[in-house]
Amino acid sequence: MDNSIRNRLLTILFVFGLGIYALLPSLRYAMLSEESISNLSKEEVDYYDAKTIKQGLDLKGGIYIVLEVDLPQLINNLAKNKDNNFDLFLIDLKNEYNSTSGDFFSIFEELADKNDLKLPRYFINYGKTRDQIIAQLSLQSEDSIRRVIEIIQNRVDQFGVAEPTIQKQGNNRVIVELAGIQDSERARDLLQSTALLELMIVKDIESTNALIRQLDSITATSNEEAVNDNNEINELFETTGSDNLNFSSLLISVGGNLAISSKNLSSFKNILSQANVKQILDATNSTFLISNSSIALVNEIGEEEESYILYHLFNNAELTGGVIEDAQMRLSQAGVTAGQAVVEVEMNSEGSREWARITGANINNRIAIVLDRKVHMAPVIRSQIFGGGTVIEGLDSIEEAEDIAIVLRAGALPVPVTIAEERTVGASLGADSVTKGTLSMAIGLLLVVFFIVVFYKMSGIIASFSVMWTLILLLGVLALLEATLTLPGIAGLILTVGMSVDANVIIFERIKEELRNGKSVRSAIDSGYERAITTIVDANLTTGIAAAVLYQYGSGPIKGFATVLFWGIIVSMFTAIIVTRFVFDFATSRKNIEKLSI
Amino acid sequence: MKLMENTKINFMKFKTIGFGLSSAMAIGSILLLLMGVNLGIDFKGGTAIGVSFSEDISIEEIRSSLKTVSINNTSFDLSTEEIKYFGSNSDVMIKIKTLENEPENFGQLVINHLYGSLNSKVPENKNDFILSLGSVSPKVGSELSGKALWSVFSALVLILFYISVRFEFRFALGAILALVHDVIITLGIFSLTGFEITLSTVAAFLTIVGYSLNDTIVILDRIRENMKSSGTVMFESTINKSINQSLSRTLITSLTTLLVIIVLLMYGGEVIRPFSFTMLVGVIIGTYSSIYIASALLATIYQNSK
Repeated sequence: MDNSIRNRLLTILFVFGLGIYALLPSLRYAMLSEESISNLSKEEVDYYDAKTIKQGLDLKGGIYIVLEVDLPQLINNLAKNKDNNFDLFLIDLKNEYNSTSGDFFSIFEELADKNDLKLPRYFINYGKTRDQIIAQLSLQSEDSIRRVIEIIQNRVDQFGVAEPTIQKQGNNRVIVELAGIQDSERARDLLQSTALLELMIVKDIESTNALIRQLDSITATSNEEAVNDNNEINELFETTGSDNLNFSSLLISVGGNLAISSKNLSSFKNILSQANVKQILDATNSTFLISNSSIALVNEIGEEEESYILYHLFNNAELTGGVIEDAQMRLSQAGVTAGQAVVEVEMNSEGSREWARITGANINNRIAIVLDRKVHMAPVIRSQIFGGGTVIEGLDSIEEAEDIAIVLRAGALPVPVTIAEERTVGASLGADSVTKGTLSMAIGLLLVVFFIVVFYKMSGIIASFSVMWTLILLLGVLALLEATLTLPGIAGLILTVGMSVDANVIIFERIKEELRNGKSVRSAIDSGYERAITTIVDANLTTGIAAAVLYQYGSGPIKGFATVLFWGIIVSMFTAIIVTRFVFDFATSRKNIEKLSI
Repeated sequence: MKLMENTKINFMKFKTIGFGLSSAMAIGSILLLLMGVNLGIDFKGGTAIGVSFSEDISIEEIRSSLKTVSINNTSFDLSTEEIKYFGSNSDVMIKIKTLENEPENFGQLVINHLYGSLNSKVPENKNDFILSLGSVSPKVGSELSGKALWSVFSALVLILFYISVRFEFRFALGAILALVHDVIITLGIFSLTGFEITLSTVAAFLTIVGYSLNDTIVILDRIRENMKSSGTVMFESTINKSINQSLSRTLITSLTTLLVIIVLLMYGGEVIRPFSFTMLVGVIIGTYSSIYIASALLATIYQNSK
């Protein structure tokens, strides 16, 4: 064996060994039974996690959600001294942000200039000049998305999903991938809930009535007195659906509480968003919030209507979720809620002190426990509470209670998030794709091997061997790269097989041509390879360029495809040019072969 | 086994017919595309849900169930949305356009509605009912289409550049035109089938670009090599010779690739079907265009520049 052949053999064996080594964990994992997979220790799970080829959500089922941070809302939260001008600007900002895909702060800057908005008036805490303020706000937004990612990570970890992926996309999005989860409703709630817990005092009936009267007088005129002077809030008005709505006509009185039918909610929100109504609410430090769950109320004509309890609250929260130390789901032991799931909240020492002060100062008042601007309960404070404990009731199920406990423990999102994109693939569809994809790949491969062996005989066997190794090495590279295999990735594998076969065909056809031109076997192989190589390199490199560009600009599935294709090209060039050449050289090196089986 | 060895087919004789045929197909495809491409939710936003019933169900039955979908006291009429079978008569795919007053978690709520209203034909476990659910906001949709177009465009420009450097600009022009030709005609045929364009079909189109390019380069490479000995005199015969020399390779590669694609089309499952179909059409068109667009165009360019 001469030196050149020995060196090549060593190189090839080294690469093959590396490929097999990279694939071993995947093979071992594939051979584990379901039972032993569930018995894996934490370290073993982490090991397989890092070393095996992962299947994309489209193959194994799960939820893919892209969350978009509501940056206009963040700006709104940060602004002080807001006026009408600012509100108009905010509406423009929201519309522009939601309809174009430009950078948020360029849109912000452009619109602020267009609306002639004096930024220092609203953002004096963030700088004195326009540029300073924009730079500071942009830092704030980066900070909040970092916190959003942290909190989401926290929530997902506590939710207990295997191999969750959470990553930042651009400067305002977070991609969350939860494998094996199908309950999109629950996942959405868990991720999207801001989890802002607020404890707010409920206003008394007199001031509520006074406010309603005041609001009635400025909304549509009414010929009836809004509220009796009596201490109770009576059935107010029944007319609905006309344009001439006044405020109280939307309300229903039920057992000392106000309620509102769900069909009136949008008119109600419209009234509350009117500028003069806002002014009154601000002046009286009031806000209206509805209950988180609905009740069925019977209306005048005997129909059941889905309705919500309406609370009139002091607008400033006495305490917020920042003071929470722990939150746990429990089954309530006593009282009317016995057996229902509740969340027990424990506060830190600062929170406990505050809580004791608030409850002490508000005995016989009602305190509303508000989560994400929805009132969960509003019990009457009977005595001062020490120790910083409170309980959230009014939850529909154990799952809901568990999830609320998780989001409270993980902390509140600094800014609301919306769902920009969601994909759920059922486990059955994913499994179906895997079985069928693998099956057709196997059949296809067998047919290709059969074909090239018929066409090229002995040389065809060498080609089949090289195609097989292309696949093994490519999968090995994917395992090393910790790449995720998706359906388009499988398509990339198939294309790679095609390219690999093609490279062999180009070489063999050249060799045959050289043989027809009367060359000896040895020199036909040499010049055949030599001439084929430029063709193969040119063809593969152009495709490689395409793959690299796609990887750079493409998203999701396209990127997965590009990764496989790019490495497929490199691997198939290696097997076709170096490996098969070696086999031919080795076979013809020892004796003078007169006839090539091609 | 021998296949098409030492052939002497005069491919360039049919050059004009080829150009005519290609132009006709390309114009037809463009007209078809102008009439409307069936873009998936990836590119225009919306909600797509796939559900699996426990027995066969008629599209009409689903349509009437979707006539009134009541969510949070608002009633939606979804009966005019796109509803079609997905593989079998018990699996259904429903595509819903983005609605102006769309509630949160719309797709899931529609699934809940179907599960409740057609309850005699649904599997016991709701997780078995849901095949897939996707929702894309119009903003993300426009971003994804922008990205896809941009990536295809920049790939084409870079390829043009590479071929210009390795061969010459005239070769590159032919190769790129052949690629555009392939993609347009495949898109045209694709739009006839009613499949929709999603991110994975974009991957299929890119595969065609890769494949067709590969094919074109192999022939162009031969032409370049033969030009060294014969120069640009009798250019058509040089091209004919080159195509004939690489003919058996062209046929064997196309055949093996087609073989894999047909298997994929038959056994690959529903999700991958649009992909396999695109590939099937693309490989045939791509093989043809290497000869009758890339090479024939080169012949014409050289003739005119003489």
